[in-house]
Amino acid sequence: MSFAHLSTRADEIIALYEYPQAAMLPLMWLVQNDHGWIPPEGEAWVAERLDVAISRVREVLSFYGMFRAEPMGRRELKVCTSLSCRLRGSEELLEAFSETFGIRPGETTADGAVSLTKVECLCACELSPMVQLDERFIGPVGAQDTGTIAAIAQDARSEPTSPEAAPEPSPFIDSSGPILSTRFADPGGVWFDAYTADGGYEAARKVLTGMEPKEVIEQVIAANLRGLGGAGFPAGRKWSFVPTDGDKPVYLVVNADEGEPGTSKDRHVMERDPHALLEGMLIAAFAIGAHKAYVYIRGEYFRPAQRLQRAVDEAYEKGWLGSDVAGTGFALDVVVHRGAGAYICGEETALLSSLEGSKGQPKLKPPFPAISGLFGCPTIVNNVETIACVPFILSHGPERFAAIGTERQGGTRLFCVSGHVERPGVFEEPVGVTLRELIEERAGGVRGGKRLKAVIPGGLSARILTAEEIDIAMDFDSVGAAGSMAGSAGVIVMDEDTCMVRTLDSAAHFYADESCGQCSPCREGTGWIHRIVKRIGAGQGKLGDLDDLLTISHDMEGRTICVFSEAAAWPVQSYITKFRGEFEDFIRSGRSLQGARSPEVSNA
Amino acid sequence: MPELTIDGRKVSVPDGTTVIEAAEQLGIFIPRYCYHPGLSTAGNCRMCMVDVENSPKPQIACNLPATEGMVVETESEQARKDRAAVLEFLLANHPLDCPVCDQAGECDLQNYYMNFGLYDPRFSEQKVKKEKAVEVGPHVMLDQERCILCSRCVRFTDEITKTGEFGIFNRGDRAELGLYPGETLDNPYSANVVDLCPVGALTERSFRFKARVWYLSSTKSVCGGCSRGCNTDLHHVTDRPHLNDAERLVRVKPRFHAQVNEWWMCDEGRYGHGWIDRDRLGEVRRRTDEASRRQVESDWDAAENALAPALAAANGRLGVVVSATQTTEELFSVREVLGERFGARIVVAPQAPGGKGDDFLIQADKAPNRAGARLLGLSDAPADGVESLVDAAIAGELDSLWVFGEDLVELVGAEKTRSLALSDCLFVYAGTNDNPTVSLARWVLPTAVPVEADGTFVNCDGRVQRVGRAFAPLAQARECQRVLCELASRAGVADAPSWSTTAEVFAAIAKSTDAFAGMSFESLGEQGALAASREPLAEAGTP
Repeated sequence: MSFAHLSTRADEIIALYEYPQAAMLPLMWLVQNDHGWIPPEGEAWVAERLDVAISRVREVLSFYGMFRAEPMGRRELKVCTSLSCRLRGSEELLEAFSETFGIRPGETTADGAVSLTKVECLCACELSPMVQLDERFIGPVGAQDTGTIAAIAQDARSEPTSPEAAPEPSPFIDSSGPILSTRFADPGGVWFDAYTADGGYEAARKVLTGMEPKEVIEQVIAANLRGLGGAGFPAGRKWSFVPTDGDKPVYLVVNADEGEPGTSKDRHVMERDPHALLEGMLIAAFAIGAHKAYVYIRGEYFRPAQRLQRAVDEAYEKGWLGSDVAGTGFALDVVVHRGAGAYICGEETALLSSLEGSKGQPKLKPPFPAISGLFGCPTIVNNVETIACVPFILSHGPERFAAIGTERQGGTRLFCVSGHVERPGVFEEPVGVTLRELIEERAGGVRGGKRLKAVIPGGLSARILTAEEIDIAMDFDSVGAAGSMAGSAGVIVMDEDTCMVRTLDSAAHFYADESCGQCSPCREGTGWIHRIVKRIGAGQGKLGDLDDLLTISHDMEGRTICVFSEAAAWPVQSYITKFRGEFEDFIRSGRSLQGARSPEVSNA
Repeated sequence: MPELTIDGRKVSVPDGTTVIEAAEQLGIFIPRYCYHPGLSTAGNCRMCMVDVENSPKPQIACNLPATEGMVVETESEQARKDRAAVLEFLLANHPLDCPVCDQAGECDLQNYYMNFGLYDPRFSEQKVKKEKAVEVGPHVMLDQERCILCSRCVRFTDEITKTGEFGIFNRGDRAELGLYPGETLDNPYSANVVDLCPVGALTERSFRFKARVWYLSSTKSVCGGCSRGCNTDLHHVTDRPHLNDAERLVRVKPRFHAQVNEWWMCDEGRYGHGWIDRDRLGEVRRRTDEASRRQVESDWDAAENALAPALAAANGRLGVVVSATQTTEELFSVREVLGERFGARIVVAPQAPGGKGDDFLIQADKAPNRAGARLLGLSDAPADGVESLVDAAIAGELDSLWVFGEDLVELVGAEKTRSLALSDCLFVYAGTNDNPTVSLARWVLPTAVPVEADGTFVNCDGRVQRVGRAFAPLAQARECQRVLCELASRAGVADAPSWSTTAEVFAAIAKSTDAFAGMSFESLGEQGALAASREPLAEAGTP
């Protein structure tokens, strides 16, 4: 087994990075794309090319869900079973595919044609229930929709087509603007000429030719732009933490590892308006003094990565990236870097570990990335959506941006509303929009005239809200004051028939699966919680389990390197606290989740 | 120099000091698993969490820089709860197979549960199953289920040996410690990971099921495996012969010394101690008749009766081969008695060829005390020094030849050693272990090994360090100085030394030899002391 034919490409890849080991994930992708999996000889080849111990390569191979340690089918059908899809029947969909192919999840058909895989959230929740066939997203696919299931099965058994040739579905994606979605209507993506015709790169030109970095930061601070990845930290203030007198290079890293269940926003920016992201990166890089930027895109996002890479190539060609951007003397190189299937890499320091070629495990703070981040150098990590807002702020002025939002948070967000609503989709709204408006007006209200039971307002990790708690503005501070968080703006809606034990089962499975395993409380706690919840779901629960779940989740909280343990704890605590009677009834009844199908599916 | 308060007590520490280190200065122990001062900070076990004033969350003391005015509580209600919670998580999937675990008794899961845990366990789910009893290398056994994934061993093979054998594979509670399939943990320092492991996940194969640790006694010592002189703890048992196959020395552990070996030692030194209990010379032997050259058991009285007159009559026609594996006290005794009183020509056996060193701890010279011999003025013989001495003995130029510890067959060849045995020269062998030379001597005098006698080695950097006394000499073996003092006295030497302890020999060395001036066994303590010397003591310096 030889990998010599990959050497030239490997050299090109390694040359993109400051340190060879940072090319770990790209080289493993190279091997996997070539062989269909990563054989031991491939691991040895990567170790040798990067001059690392082979155990480091195995750590990476075993950590990321998308790397294959054994051969799989020629094509892979992934069925998302995270909460948004599950609420719309993904368990039944998985069973349907299982029957169609005659294999269980995790297996490959006898002829080696298709592997069926159960995966966690692919962040296309507006398509739920959805599947991914190799690189392509398909949805919604109802479990009763036998025609679509048969067509997908047929497709899976045939030769793959290029993802651009096979169009993805067009769910409801708002393109009404005013900031992020104005160019979303063009399904082919907005390329350089169209973008510049629309006034694109003028903000960057203005910044590069006539402003000081300090002024740019001041404008972003004045705009009240908050970190839209989920934490809500003021973006301009974050930029101001970078030392201006250091002798180390400064890096800008764009977090495109969109992974919070219920979220769907960054993918649309990269697919539909990639130059807006690049222009935002140019301005941000100028403000913090960075001349190298990385975009870390989650591994499942093939098309976003391809489109962003095409935009990067265009920008180099047109002189908007490289050693002398638009003749201004400012230099910026951009590398599009792909992850390989690990939710935790959305945590900024885990993302940096991953980008450095290791397992995606969060780093200790202090030091903070702005002081010592990527390769030990000052680094600013910003979410895609955050950076995509920046050109608007510089072109229209911070006052305009701030005015669109609330007192302490400017602008709009791309809200993804999924679950039991009439019209799941992605909607750009001012951050002050209320949760009720999003559900009832934008998403058409609860499906089938049912009553609302509960909403998760900001992605799976946010504490659940009851039907009585939805009259809140969706900016970070208001949702926080209501006891939850605006998070990643992933709104998951549950109707009156939703079984909360099933909902908790979904969340507990997700966090147990995705814990990086580094800190003891999270590693052991997520698994422990999942096993208790599974036992309850199997009809073997005890009433005392509920208090145990509360104390175990409390014991995890705040005792780990990153906030994953909080993210895992809050769903447990809020579901049990707000729906305790339902949990107790379920346990007393001796029912099991397997025995009785959840009623919500019958309405699908 | 920030001043902070820990548990109500103030302490000033240098900038950059962490709270766990600052607490140590106050004698406050903060429990830890992943933290180790010799490795990078991982911060993953979360055991060292402390309560910090004005901090909403508990902080890990291992990664918390001490700052001016910081107020830390390690014993508050919150801190106790935090630690107990972490312990419960760590023990959730732990197999609790203490009754069959070699770590039991020195396990930080057991110790911390008793000191910081004592919660009522809630875990009643199926535990995660992983591999047990995996032989990961010649010296180390891995039990994945017992592992708490603190990553100390991973950081050791990454940062210290830079061999990278260990990895933690998979994620979540499926994460497991292991080696890449087919790889072996066989670097020269592999067994240090056993010492680093705070639980029973990595244990020594040689110690497997040999003894419960609470039956072991401990003696502070110094490794004699090369001229580095790594500080050690000897773990031994003498009152339970059913343990450890009746051998007294059970295992060797490195002992911290900032200048010599930090926390580490090599496997060669750690496992090179079998000779202390095996193939020992336990009895005085003498040749019965010249024709058969057969040896029979004798006793010290007979030996002294025979050898003292020979020494008294030596009149300078006496040769001695000493070994750089002998303690400074043994070498000094030989010099003072056989050299000064009886006019012996003393040569030190040269460095064995082929010894390999590295750029970390291991030295090419496998003798632990060549520097000590040099400081006593016993310079290495020229390359043919031993041989010319043996030649002189065979040629009848010497009446007696005494060989201490060295194997003449190896040094000058079997034929020449046999010629020596056939000659009229009185050939005396004094040493600890059997070798091809022993059976050719007219007298065989069993001497104590260093850890039966105490004494000092001077390492390659000139550090004088005590080897300690772990147990009494085996069978009839005697301390070298005792043998020589009694012979001198029996030979009627007027000023025969009368050292009754090794400490007294060392006192005599300190009094007579500038390099040791002012030192005593007590002042050497556990860290030793640098000898005063203007001469380089060995080619190799500090790492």
